[in-house]
Amino acid sequence: MRVEYINPFVESAFNVMREVLQADVKRGDLYLKSTSMPVMGVAAIVGLAGDVEGRVLFDMDKPTALRIASAMNGEELTTMDDLAKATITELANMITAQAVTKLHELGFRFDLTPPAIFTGDNMEVSNQDVEALIVPMEAPQGKVEINVAIRERA
Amino acid sequence: MKTKEDFPSINERKPEGQRPDGTPFRVLVVDDSMFVAKQITQILTSEGYDVVGQAADGLLGLERYKELYPNVDLVTMDITMPNMDGITALQKIIEFDKNARVIMISALGKQDLVKQALLTGAKNYIVKPLDRKKVLERISHVLSK
Repeated sequence: MRVEYINPFVESAFNVMREVLQADVKRGDLYLKSTSMPVMGVAAIVGLAGDVEGRVLFDMDKPTALRIASAMNGEELTTMDDLAKATITELANMITAQAVTKLHELGFRFDLTPPAIFTGDNMEVSNQDVEALIVPMEAPQGKVEINVAIRERA
Repeated sequence: MKTKEDFPSINERKPEGQRPDGTPFRVLVVDDSMFVAKQITQILTSEGYDVVGQAADGLLGLERYKELYPNVDLVTMDITMPNMDGITALQKIIEFDKNARVIMISALGKQDLVKQALLTGAKNYIVKPLDRKKVLERISHVLSK
């Protein structure tokens, strides 16, 4: 996967998370996964289709999701209810939208699917023909992994 | 004991959400994200606005506008929504009430849609993530015209 695809996601995740959480966010080291990998418990997914195709997954454990949703709402949320899910979905939405703006400026044309959110234990995600790059982002609320699997359309 | 009268009133600023006569401006919030709708509602009510209605898609937003009319001063309208998108809903609201004041709420990266909305008659737009100051500025600016 070309690194041009991943940088916009890293930058926009950094900017959006810092802004909505009003906190210092650190970027961890990128790593590559070509086989299946575990999902931490709450995952928002956005699909991409056009010149490039694939998906972006925003993956975090449940306590982190609740702490992030609480920070974004300015109130303590204790269960992954509709509001908490809508909040994490919106976070994924904002990060993806900002990244896509940058990719459009680079000349890539594609559409996004509305984000969907998965919650559960012992989940894993597999990518058959496309390798996934993972960018861990560390916020005071916990770790969010941005898992990007994109390829050029054949 | 000190009473309220002992302190000078340094904070006597009128909430932006009220007219000179003290009645609140009435806002309809159209957004499919519960989070964003709640965020806008909190920002507005904290400044004295009255959120008179919420709708989760463009079609419901249009229906709600017609029900509320003429007792609604402003609409905040998301762009990407199921059933009917925000631009179509804007168009239909303007067909119904050519003086409708609609502000678009958009994620970054939808410049073409925002432009189309402004040409259709939206009065302004706000890009997410929503910043309290920016939201209040844009809304009070539209209402002051």
